[in-house]
Amino acid sequence: MINLAYKDIQHTFSKFVITAMGVGMLLGIVLIMIGVYRGMVEDAKVLLNDVNADVWVVQQYTLGPFAESSRLYQDLQDSIKVIEGVDKAAALTFQGMQLFDKQGHAVRVYTVGYDPRGDFQIIPDSALIEGRVLRESHYEMVVTDKTGFALGEKIKVGRNIFTVVGITQGTVSSGGDPIVYVSLKDAQIMQFSYSNPRIRNDRARGLESKDSQLVNVVVATLKPGYAADQVAQKMERWKHLTVYSQAEQIQILSKNVIERSSKQIGLFTLILVLVSSIIIGLIIYTMTLEKIKEISIMKLIGIPNFLITKMIIQETILLGLIAFVFGNLFAQLIYSNFPKRVLLEWPDSFTLLAVIIVTSFLSSLIGVYKVLKADPAQAIGG
Amino acid sequence: MDNISIKVENLEKTFGEGESRVEVIKGASFEVNKGELVALIAPSGAGKSTLLMMIGCVLEPTSGKIWLGEELVYDKKWLTKDARKIRREKLGFIFQAHYLIPFLNVLDNVSLLPLTSSEKEEVVRDRSKDILRFLGLGEKFNAKPSELSGGQNQRVAIARALANQPQIILADEPTAALDIERAHSVVKMLKEVTKTQGVSIIMVTHDERLLGYCDKILKIVAGKVETSHVTEGEVV
Ligand SMILES: Nc1ncnc2c1ncn2[C@@H]1O[C@H](COP(=O)(O)OP(=O)(O)O)[C@@H](O)[C@H]1O
Ligand SMILES: [Mg+2]
Repeated sequence: MINLAYKDIQHTFSKFVITAMGVGMLLGIVLIMIGVYRGMVEDAKVLLNDVNADVWVVQQYTLGPFAESSRLYQDLQDSIKVIEGVDKAAALTFQGMQLFDKQGHAVRVYTVGYDPRGDFQIIPDSALIEGRVLRESHYEMVVTDKTGFALGEKIKVGRNIFTVVGITQGTVSSGGDPIVYVSLKDAQIMQFSYSNPRIRNDRARGLESKDSQLVNVVVATLKPGYAADQVAQKMERWKHLTVYSQAEQIQILSKNVIERSSKQIGLFTLILVLVSSIIIGLIIYTMTLEKIKEISIMKLIGIPNFLITKMIIQETILLGLIAFVFGNLFAQLIYSNFPKRVLLEWPDSFTLLAVIIVTSFLSSLIGVYKVLKADPAQAIGG
Repeated sequence: MDNISIKVENLEKTFGEGESRVEVIKGASFEVNKGELVALIAPSGAGKSTLLMMIGCVLEPTSGKIWLGEELVYDKKWLTKDARKIRREKLGFIFQAHYLIPFLNVLDNVSLLPLTSSEKEEVVRDRSKDILRFLGLGEKFNAKPSELSGGQNQRVAIARALANQPQIILADEPTAALDIERAHSVVKMLKEVTKTQGVSIIMVTHDERLLGYCDKILKIVAGKVETSHVTEGEVV
């Protein structure tokens, strides 16, 4: 038997492929959107996992340090450390900032402050690709490669000049911004110190600022055999603090930081899929209309419907499949150029494939309807 | 009845309702024998195509009876649910334009319809090739319609009409788009088909010069069909 779909596509091959490429780009964007979402979810957990603490101690009644701002006194670190069951503890600061590169372009970063000589080494060895971690308590900086800063580069922050001593890869904030690590002392100056006129003003009012002794969170690990909940309860009771386990912290992030964005992206993806389906439907509709004369003639001379509808359905599904392949190629080609992480995962791709097969089958029904409705008597008119 | 391939009795066709109602065929009756080449003539708009499409089970008449061979196919209504099956099994069509499928080559265009039957693919292919050779297209099996001349394409269309071995071929102005030489050769071929294969052909034509090839002439006059016979190439 002659396969009409094959012959038709062969006849208009380049047009068919170009059409499939067009639809493919649209599907590529759908894949990128899903990848953006996956990347966001992944990014949100990077810092949490890098810190890898058992408990997160934050300002009372806050969802800090990521979902809400939180301020604690740094010396809390010492009183936490002596609580029964606590192994190591460290005070950390987190702060969104803007740095400037040599050309004067703004670079959005997320600054993490930690004590280079403290209990916690929060830069994972696996993330460090050049240089070293912080060693001195002042004016050193470890940056994520995406910031664009080079090893040894001098970066001016306020009145101070920092030197890049190490470069990491894949270290991002829960919002996806690249991280720069500085010493806790430097970080406190950046976040909490005021300008000289302000300090003078405050003194005149009789206020003595102790703000530079603040941090955003104290993290701690526990000794074996101690459960995070129990230790956390103890801390909360004594110190008027709020304490989260690592798992709770992840939950807070996904509830407060990821959920809304994921709804946003989910809706966007849904609309894109819908638009793609409509476009596939329209393409099939015009492809059928273009052939309506031949279809009427086939019906007139006695070709059974199923042979004609088979052609339409096969062409549509093939269009969907080729578009899917192009979509993946397109997505793979461009995803690394996005400023934030785009995570392309095959299961997502295959889900999309299933959706495409179903939607192209449904859109082919528009063509099939046209075929069934085509009047053979009209074939020879005009 | 044995020798009759088409019989039409009191066939009527009106289009539209009320104000726009047009009676095109008003009680046509005629017969076509097996192996006859019959011309259907009338001025433009007289209802030639309408009549042909009713015989072809494409257009539903308003009333009357149609037999194709032994089978009564229409008696005030279609007597079959699947008109396309009748077209597929008994009829071949040729039109003014060739209406070949542009994305199929010559051989596929010709074999497409018979391949939907239970016949073996090889048998169909061989027969299609034979027909194409007979029509002088032995070198063109793999050509696409766009690569052939108008006359060649019209011959492919004839081959397609023959390929499923129909008892009847309905040809609506098959030579109108051809110059006179090609028109003559096409009609000669149709004539030969009727004689060698026993096929009946009704051919609509405006060209009086072609009437000499025909066995019989049907003329639509005021919605009815007048039959006249042709002897020794002379119109009686
Ligand atoms: N679908 C239709 N609806 C209304 N009128 C029609 C239709 N088809 C044909 N007619 C009318 O029927 C008449 C005969 O048409 P047709 O059979 O095409 O004539 P011919 O083939 O002899 O030139 C014309 O007047 C035409 O306008
Ligand atoms: Mg006509």
